[in-house]
Amino acid sequence: MKKTLSNRFWLILLGVIVAGSALAAWLLLSRVPTGSIAAIYLDGELVERIDLAAVTESYTRTYTGKSGITDVVEVARGKIRVKEADCPDQVCVHQGWIETGVVPVVCLPNALVIQIEDGSAEPEIDGAVG
Amino acid sequence: MKQTKRLTLCALLTAIALTIFVAEAQIPPVVPVPGMKLGLANIVTVYAMFALGPGDTLMILLCRIFLGSLFAGGSTFLYSLAGGLLCYLSMLLFRKILTEKQLWVCGAIGAIFHNLGQMGAAILIARTPQLVLYLPVLLITGVIAGAFTGLGAQLLLARLGRRIP
Amino acid sequence: MKRPLALSLAVLLLLSGCSSTEESTTIFAMDTVMTLTAYGSHAREGLSAAEAEINRLEKTLSVTREDSEVWAIDHSAGAPVTVGTDTAALLNAAAALGDRTGGALDVTLYPVVKAWGFTTGDYRIPDAEELADLLTRVDDHAVHMDGDTVTLPAGMELDFGALAKGYAGEQCASLLKEAGVTSAILNLGGNVQTVGAKPDGSPWRVAVQDPEGESEDYVGWLELTDEAAVTSGGYQRYFEENGVRYWHIIDPDTGAPARSGLLSATIVGKSGTACDGLSTGLFVLGPEKALDCWRQSDDFEAVLIGEDHTVQITAGLADRFTLREDSGYTLRIVEE
Repeated sequence: MKKTLSNRFWLILLGVIVAGSALAAWLLLSRVPTGSIAAIYLDGELVERIDLAAVTESYTRTYTGKSGITDVVEVARGKIRVKEADCPDQVCVHQGWIETGVVPVVCLPNALVIQIEDGSAEPEIDGAVG
Repeated sequence: MKQTKRLTLCALLTAIALTIFVAEAQIPPVVPVPGMKLGLANIVTVYAMFALGPGDTLMILLCRIFLGSLFAGGSTFLYSLAGGLLCYLSMLLFRKILTEKQLWVCGAIGAIFHNLGQMGAAILIARTPQLVLYLPVLLITGVIAGAFTGLGAQLLLARLGRRIP
Repeated sequence: MKRPLALSLAVLLLLSGCSSTEESTTIFAMDTVMTLTAYGSHAREGLSAAEAEINRLEKTLSVTREDSEVWAIDHSAGAPVTVGTDTAALLNAAAALGDRTGGALDVTLYPVVKAWGFTTGDYRIPDAEELADLLTRVDDHAVHMDGDTVTLPAGMELDFGALAKGYAGEQCASLLKEAGVTSAILNLGGNVQTVGAKPDGSPWRVAVQDPEGESEDYVGWLELTDEAAVTSGGYQRYFEENGVRYWHIIDPDTGAPARSGLLSATIVGKSGTACDGLSTGLFVLGPEKALDCWRQSDDFEAVLIGEDHTVQITAGLADRFTLREDSGYTLRIVEE
C-alpha cells in the first residue's frame, strides 16, 4: 500500500519553494555591490584583477583553461564580457556585459568566472623602489 | 524474447532522450544563466522511472549523458553527470510516495536536485562559491520547467500504460 | 569551424609561451639583495653576464674591499692612482651630478658618514666641532682626474655608495640587451632598472614604498619602460637617540642628516646612475630646490613624498604614476 500525499500538498510545497527562491533571488540581486575591479578566475585560481574604471581603451584577453576551451574576454571602461568562446553552450557570451557585482559571468565548460569586486585594485607589481 | 524487447525499448528511449537533448542544446538561451535549461530530456527519465523501474532508467540516463556530452562537447559532462545522478537518486526516493497521477511532482523535484547537483559540481570545479547566487533563479525556472516535463511524462504514461507496448 | 580556431589559439599560446620564458636569479652583492629577472630565449645568458658584471663592479667600486680601485684612491695619501673605465665614468658622473644639485650630492662625504657610524652600525652623534673639522675634508671639486689617473688629496675619502647600484643597473641593462634580452627587470636592493617593457608589451609596474609604512606598504606605483627608478629616503637607514631620528643621508653643507621636508625622493630616468645620484641630491635639497633642479633638466622625472603627506609628481609622470586610494597621501602634479 503506497502512502500518498495529495496534489494540493505538492502544489503548496513546490509553490513555497518557488516563492522562497524568488525572495532569495530578490534579496541577493537587489544588493548591488559597488566596485570596479573585475576579478578573473580560471579553474578556481585568480588569474587577473583589472580595474575597469581605469581602462581607457577596450582590449581583449584570451584565457584557455584545463578544459582546452578558449574564452576571449573583452575589457572596456566600466564593463567586461566574454566576447567569444568555443564552448558548446555559449551562455557566457549571451550573458553579455557586466558592470556590477550582482552575478558573475561564468563559462562553466571552461571553469572561467569573471566577477566584479570592490576594493582598490591591487595591481600586479613587478618591483619596488624604496 | 522479453529481454530483447526490453533492450530495444531502452535503446529507443535512450535515442529519444538523446535527440531531445541535442535538439534542446540548439535553442539559444533566453535568459543567460549558466546551467539554466528546459531539461526536456527529463520527460524520458521520469517516464522510464515509473514505466520500467530504476535499473533500466539508470542505464538510459547514463547512456544519454555520456552520448550527449559526445555530441555537445565533453566539457559539460561532469556537470551533467552530477546533476543527473542527484536527480536520479531523488526520484528513486520520491517515486515511493508518488502516484502515477503525480509525475509532475517527480519532474519538479528531479529538476531541483538536478540543479543542486550541477551547482555543487560547478562550485567544486570552478571553485567559486559565489555561483550559489544563481541557485534561486535556477530553482524557480527548474521547478516550473520540471513540473511541465513531469506532466509530459505523466501524459505519456497514461497513454502508453505501464506495460511495454 | 570552431575547432580549428581553438587549435590555432592553442598553438599561438604555446608559441608565445615559449618566447616568454622567465629566468630569475637572486644574488647578494653591494651589501644588498638583488633579484634579476629576464624573459625570452636569451634570458639565461643575459643574466649570467649581468651577474658577472655586478660582481666585477663590486670588486672595483667597493669602499671596504682592500683590492678595489676606490680603496686604492682612498688610501693613496695624495698620490696619483690609475683607474679603469668604470671608476672614471663614475667620477665624471659624480662631478656633473654634484654641480647639477648645487653640491647636495658629494662623493667625498665618506669621512662624515663614517663619523656618524653609518658604515659600521656603531652609531654616534659627532659634535659640531668634529663635523666642522670633517667638512674641511669634503669637497668633490678637489678630486683631480687626468685621463685614467685620479688624484685625491690626502685625508679625503670618496665612496660611490650613492651611485654604484644605479650604475650597476645601467651596465647590466646594456649587457642584457647585448645578449638579445628585450624584457627584464632588475631589483638592486630598492633600485629598479627595467629593460624594455613586460613580455606582453605593457609597462613594468614598480611600487614606490610608503616611507612611513612597513616595507611592503607602498603609496602608489610607477609605470616604467626601459628606465630606472631609484628612491632615497630617511627611513631606509637610521638610528634614534633621545627621540630624534638620524638618518644616513647627510647634507654636505652641515655634515648632519638632511632635514629638508622630504620623507623620500624617487627619481625616474633613462640613466640609472643619474637616478641614483639625483635621488640622494634631491632628497638633500628639499622639495622646492628639487623641483627647480627638475625644471632645469630634461633627463628625469621625480616623485617627492613630503613630511606633510603630499606626493608631488613631476608632469612627465602624470599618466604613469597611480596613487593608492587608501595610501593616506594627497597627490599633486607639478607642472613645468
